[in-house]
Amino acid sequence: MKILKDKVAKLSFVALLLTMTAAMFYTPTASAHGEKSQAAFMRMRTIHWFDLNWSKDEVPVNDTMTLTGKFYVFQGWPETVDKPEVSFLNVGIPGPVFIRAGSWIGGQLVPRSVSLELGETYEFKVLLKARRPGDWHVHAMMNVKGGGPIIGPGKWVTITGSMSDFTNPITTLTGETIDLETYNLSNTYFWHGLWYAIGLLWLAYWARKPMFVPRSIAVEAGKADTLISGTDKKVALGFGVGVIAIVAMSMASTNDKFPITTPLQAGLLRGMKTIEMPVATVKVKIEDATYRVPGRAMQMTMTITNNGDSPVRLGEFNTAGVRFLDPEVSVDESGYPDDLLAEEGLTVSDNSPLAPGQSKTVQVTASDAAWEVYRLADLIYDPDSRFAGLLFFYDAAGNRQMITIDAPLIPSFI
Amino acid sequence: MSASQSAVRSRAEAVKVSRTFDWLILFTLFFVVLGGYHIHYMLTGGDWDFWTDWKDRRLWVTVAPIVSITFPAAVQACLWYRYRLPFGAVVCILGLLLGEWVNRYLNFWGWTYFPVNFCFPSNLMPGAIVLDVILMLSGSLTVTAVVGGLAYGLLFYPGNWPVIAPLHVPVEYNGMMMTLADLQGYHYVRTGTPEYIRMVEKGTLRTFGKDVAPVSAFFSGFVSIIIYFLWHFFGKWFAQTTFVNSENF
Repeated sequence: MKILKDKVAKLSFVALLLTMTAAMFYTPTASAHGEKSQAAFMRMRTIHWFDLNWSKDEVPVNDTMTLTGKFYVFQGWPETVDKPEVSFLNVGIPGPVFIRAGSWIGGQLVPRSVSLELGETYEFKVLLKARRPGDWHVHAMMNVKGGGPIIGPGKWVTITGSMSDFTNPITTLTGETIDLETYNLSNTYFWHGLWYAIGLLWLAYWARKPMFVPRSIAVEAGKADTLISGTDKKVALGFGVGVIAIVAMSMASTNDKFPITTPLQAGLLRGMKTIEMPVATVKVKIEDATYRVPGRAMQMTMTITNNGDSPVRLGEFNTAGVRFLDPEVSVDESGYPDDLLAEEGLTVSDNSPLAPGQSKTVQVTASDAAWEVYRLADLIYDPDSRFAGLLFFYDAAGNRQMITIDAPLIPSFI
Repeated sequence: MSASQSAVRSRAEAVKVSRTFDWLILFTLFFVVLGGYHIHYMLTGGDWDFWTDWKDRRLWVTVAPIVSITFPAAVQACLWYRYRLPFGAVVCILGLLLGEWVNRYLNFWGWTYFPVNFCFPSNLMPGAIVLDVILMLSGSLTVTAVVGGLAYGLLFYPGNWPVIAPLHVPVEYNGMMMTLADLQGYHYVRTGTPEYIRMVEKGTLRTFGKDVAPVSAFFSGFVSIIIYFLWHFFGKWFAQTTFVNSENF
């Protein structure tokens, strides 16, 4: 019986080892950015990204692509997130697979943080240069101090070629053209190697003689002073003077070689140029809004008033980057990511053109699996169960009006 | 053989065993210090040591020596008072730099592809050697703390300048002036390290014109003196042997 038990134990141990070894070989690529895990209210009530365009789906190494679009800084910014007074236009990619060759808000280069105003709309552009081959999810992204990264919609882009071909030429103000990818590398290795070697020499000087046991005995016996000889002191003095001399000389020679240097640049950019959006002539009042959990659908009752001079129809509801469209009014032709696009996801109880001066109350339903896939349904577990988004109305000529909505949301579990 | 008998049978054998112990202890010390010191420095120095666009003339110069003089002070206390060995600071920095280089090369470059010329560690060796030399020549905790601690802070910036200066050459980029180090930080995208997190060029030290690095270095040296005292006592406490009276059991 004991032999049998031993065998079972042994085999179990072997099986455990095999399982662990097999698990080590399963290393799938982690390409996500946690965009689905970010609290739904953060995505729905902070930065509203729209009119996004990824200029290419496939880019060779060293070639460039742009990510352009607009973002609306939501007027009803949640109290639980710091206001975007210090923000940084970023791009959500897995490390430097692209380099950020440029980024602009309202036409101004923004290598530094910026101050954004609530209720304003901005145009942005990010120029990306392909560096590392692979399939990468490229997101619009805004970092907000005190709020964290607010990630926008992402699209898969393929980089082809070889990273070894990547170059990053830059011409300095002193007239030198360098490759920033490898610049200063041999100099870095040289100085670190030299100082490491000097440190090893110092250690080797002491390690060549008996170290711990006999020295400990001598110290315990009160003979500690005999352990440092006159030669030791001379060697130490040599090291000390030598180190200071090397530091002084290397600093002087560096200053000769690089007479013009400037401090790191930092600061906050204020007064970013906003977009003058067309004056909205449509008014929307949300009467009530419910999220039906089993149906993965949000239903809104809204009263729409048209104060303009041409009839309008509701074409799109955009929240957290997910676009719900009524195909009779609005069709996407920008190549927007499929998983974020519900081409027939918007249903309006009466979407006939609303004539100027008229008002009507309609039922609007935004339904798609994206509510679950993008975990927007988790809004009902947020501390402030309100939803927000953009409504786009169109007239017969294709003119668009953007209306923001912000209202409480009541979940329905049956 | 009873427990009271010696494990060695000759002086030659004793010397051999002693040397074996030397290498075992040194090897263990090196890697234990490497691990502990590396974690400590990454948690306290962190981004200032990771990225060239954090290595400024004010805060990097101030912070890096203050948070890095800790382990050298403690290990010096242990090795000097128990063995009269004056390489505590150097062995710490050798361990730290090895750990940092392995991390930067395999993780930062090999795993996430940040160029090494953007994420190399700071050079702490000149200050460490001087710290050891001063301890050995003076044999005094106070002198080492005051003179060595100050020297440790003062030598940091010039000791790194040959590596950093080429990255402080200015460049005009799309109508703005920045240094090559700034440009590295802008080009090589870090989603979790936005520009506003950078703690550079902050503070009220504005009355020294462009010559703020020496002032920052002096301040760093002064604080390093205090930190040296503190961690030196940690080291002494850690290295003490306490005998317990068996009658208490």
